[in-house]
Amino acid sequence: MSFYLIQALNAVQYGLLLFLVASGLTLIFGIMGVINLAHGSFYMIGAYLAYWLHLETGNLLLAVVIGLPLAVLLGLAVERLAIGFLYARDHLYQVLLTYGLILIFNELQRILWGNDPHGVPVPDALAGSVPLTETQSYPVYRLFISAACIAVAAGMYAVIHKTRLGMTIRAGAANREMVQVLGIDIGRLFAIVFSLGAALAAFSGMLSVPVSSVYPGMGEHVLIISFVVVVIGGIGSILGAFVGAMLIGFADTFGKVLVPEFASIAVYALMAAILLWRPQGLFGSRTA
Amino acid sequence: MPEPILQTEMLSKHYGGLAAVSDVTLQFETGQVHAVIGPNGAGKTTLLNLLSGEVRPTRGRIRFQGRDITGLPPHVISQLGIGRSFQRTNIYPALTCLENCWIAAQSRERTSMRFVPRSTRDGAVRARAEGALRACGLADAWHMPAGAVSYGAQRQLEIGMMLATEPELMLLDEPLAGMGPDESLKVVELLRRLAVEHTLILIEHDMDAVFAVADRITVMVNGKVLETGSPERIRSSQAVQEAYLGREEIA
Amino acid sequence: MTMTALPRHVLLGLLAILVVLIVLPMFADRFYVQLVTRIMVLAIFAMSLDLLIGYAGLVSFGHAAFFGLAGYALAILQRDVELVSMWTTLPLSLAACALAALVIGWFSIRTSGIYFIMITLAFAQMLYFFFNDSRSFGGSDGIFLYQAPTLELFGTEILDLGRRGELYYFVLGALVASYALARMILQSPFGRVVTAIKINEPRTRALGYNTRRYKLVIFVIAGVLAGFAGYLNALQFGIVNPAQLSWHQSGQVLVIVILGGIGTLYGPVLGAFVLVLLEDFLSHLTEHWLLIIGFFVIAVVLLLPRGIASLLEFRPSRQPVGGEAEVTVQEVRRA
Repeated sequence: MSFYLIQALNAVQYGLLLFLVASGLTLIFGIMGVINLAHGSFYMIGAYLAYWLHLETGNLLLAVVIGLPLAVLLGLAVERLAIGFLYARDHLYQVLLTYGLILIFNELQRILWGNDPHGVPVPDALAGSVPLTETQSYPVYRLFISAACIAVAAGMYAVIHKTRLGMTIRAGAANREMVQVLGIDIGRLFAIVFSLGAALAAFSGMLSVPVSSVYPGMGEHVLIISFVVVVIGGIGSILGAFVGAMLIGFADTFGKVLVPEFASIAVYALMAAILLWRPQGLFGSRTA
Repeated sequence: MPEPILQTEMLSKHYGGLAAVSDVTLQFETGQVHAVIGPNGAGKTTLLNLLSGEVRPTRGRIRFQGRDITGLPPHVISQLGIGRSFQRTNIYPALTCLENCWIAAQSRERTSMRFVPRSTRDGAVRARAEGALRACGLADAWHMPAGAVSYGAQRQLEIGMMLATEPELMLLDEPLAGMGPDESLKVVELLRRLAVEHTLILIEHDMDAVFAVADRITVMVNGKVLETGSPERIRSSQAVQEAYLGREEIA
Repeated sequence: MTMTALPRHVLLGLLAILVVLIVLPMFADRFYVQLVTRIMVLAIFAMSLDLLIGYAGLVSFGHAAFFGLAGYALAILQRDVELVSMWTTLPLSLAACALAALVIGWFSIRTSGIYFIMITLAFAQMLYFFFNDSRSFGGSDGIFLYQAPTLELFGTEILDLGRRGELYYFVLGALVASYALARMILQSPFGRVVTAIKINEPRTRALGYNTRRYKLVIFVIAGVLAGFAGYLNALQFGIVNPAQLSWHQSGQVLVIVILGGIGTLYGPVLGAFVLVLLEDFLSHLTEHWLLIIGFFVIAVVLLLPRGIASLLEFRPSRQPVGGEAEVTVQEVRRA
């Protein structure tokens, strides 16, 4: 019983990290109409920034506090200098350009930090375990990850549903042209949305470092799975990203322990099944 | 009396709470020009969409030549002999006018699953396509990209593509939309010629054209049929005039 | 109808490239003969994807499924059924791809846009993990082919495909034949309908075409052509492994098609040459050649909006060739 509880907690934690990444991706695609293959790279950049700044400062929290704004700035730079030229063009050219970005980021990572995986220890304040039952305990840091993600999710909910910016974002996700016609500064909105998305991915990467370490190519895996989550949930829907992330988190975690030979297939089979039942995703609109 | 070529029984289409088309029961007689008029939002285009299979009805039946065609997909309905021209120009802009009609004409071949370029059927397809182009008045624009010709010519091509599919029943959604007086005259002439051997169901706002060609007129308001009758009947109908209330001069 | 007639200077450019390819083995060293063979196989693969993306408007991110599947079919036929002749192994491998494409296509074509992209990816990933996690198919190591398939006629060997030079010319012939076949299909009545579907699917449906069926058929054709490339790939390297089915492989060929020029057929061929030759050239200069490739790709996107093929289409004057407005149509289509 406690075994399943632990797996469930793992699934939730994995799902929540995925949710952060996927919500950034769904916002970028839903509002800006941009397919951003480099989204996984922001996850990787966040992780490597955390690793490197921790190396320099010895303090993971400090690393996050310094690293996150850096990631946001990087997101802004990418949007202004590259992505911004592609809004009017076919998705395929966005795919190609962001693929080029992946190559660049991957190689830069290799130049700066080499080919070996690196670990970062869990901060002392969050080390240790919490007892769940008489025999099993659960690492505090993993609970912290879930808590942090939930806090971010709550913050996003507040911004999106209670602020003007959030209203604009929701409107943009529902009908991009309308927002432009209404005279809202689309350039500013896109810059904010893209940076926000990059920040979410980077933050997720930072949180995950003590449990998954940093290694070359870590961005691509997250990228593919995030797209699966976004598509399952429906493009442009944060709620969909949440539900999708949870589904994938559970499918992947329990798949690995119950049917290891089919675990990898399970995730994709789940997506295919959902798409065949609801071709626009669980919460997507029909106009994707 | 011969059977109507097309009939609807209590045809309805609801979008959530909105009834775009409500309990429409109509008969369309073979060989006649039947115009459907009404204020904007009356459900006319939705009705046409239901008849051509673009939209599936929420309720009701449609019978074509006695056969129930309710809910059939658009390509099947087209193959049965019902042709459609669209209100918003719906052509292939990147192809030439001839190529546009060629695709339309090719649809009447037994099969297009032919993978070799030259076919003995090419002559027949070409003849059909060229005939349609001549009929709709585009004989001098064959090799121009459809996206580059004038709006009026595009509307003519819209009709030409339908003609190339050699339908028995033609559904025309505002064929005169956006046309100047000269172009309108040409299209009205075309409609008159077509009416000789085909059945036409025509949505139009241009009342001069409607009264010039229609044998019967149906007036729709708010998704329902208000009245159906001869042009004289409709012209003098009190109810119809009220419905339009100063939007159009019918008399 | 002149929907896909090639402008004269493009044709000349392609012929020039063909001549270079024909004489290459006479003066290039064996490494480059092998490399160009690999590029030509990749070019066939890329053309097959262009049929989907550029002409049918179906963006597949799982096209490697057919590329890898054909290789595995060949390996399994050789290892378990002991078939060695190309006359048997090639048709059977292609049939396996056709069947897979029929199944995958039937499910995928119900969706469109990004959802189509993802569902094709999903099926390819499922195939990838199936082979990768299996024990009977060699797992992540894959399967070795102990010999190249034989090509015999009445008991005598026509070509020994295990020899580099003969393999090169065989693949070159395959490339030309594939290109010719693809163009023929595109100019056929079927091809016209597929093109029409890409430009305006609802109208094509309204004209009486069962568009889903046409999309499925082109999907199968593209899958079979990709399988042909995969078969040649397995033949050349003597090994099949799951990487040939991976999304990296699907991604690479997708990049080649977009880079080369969507909807031209010869663009992706050029793209394959440019990308692989550039990789080879740069990797001798620096170990960080991926960085340069990344910038190169971005530069092409921003500076050559229609891909590398647009370089070949440079028109010294805008006069139409001949009486018909074939070039005008071409211009409009390229715009």
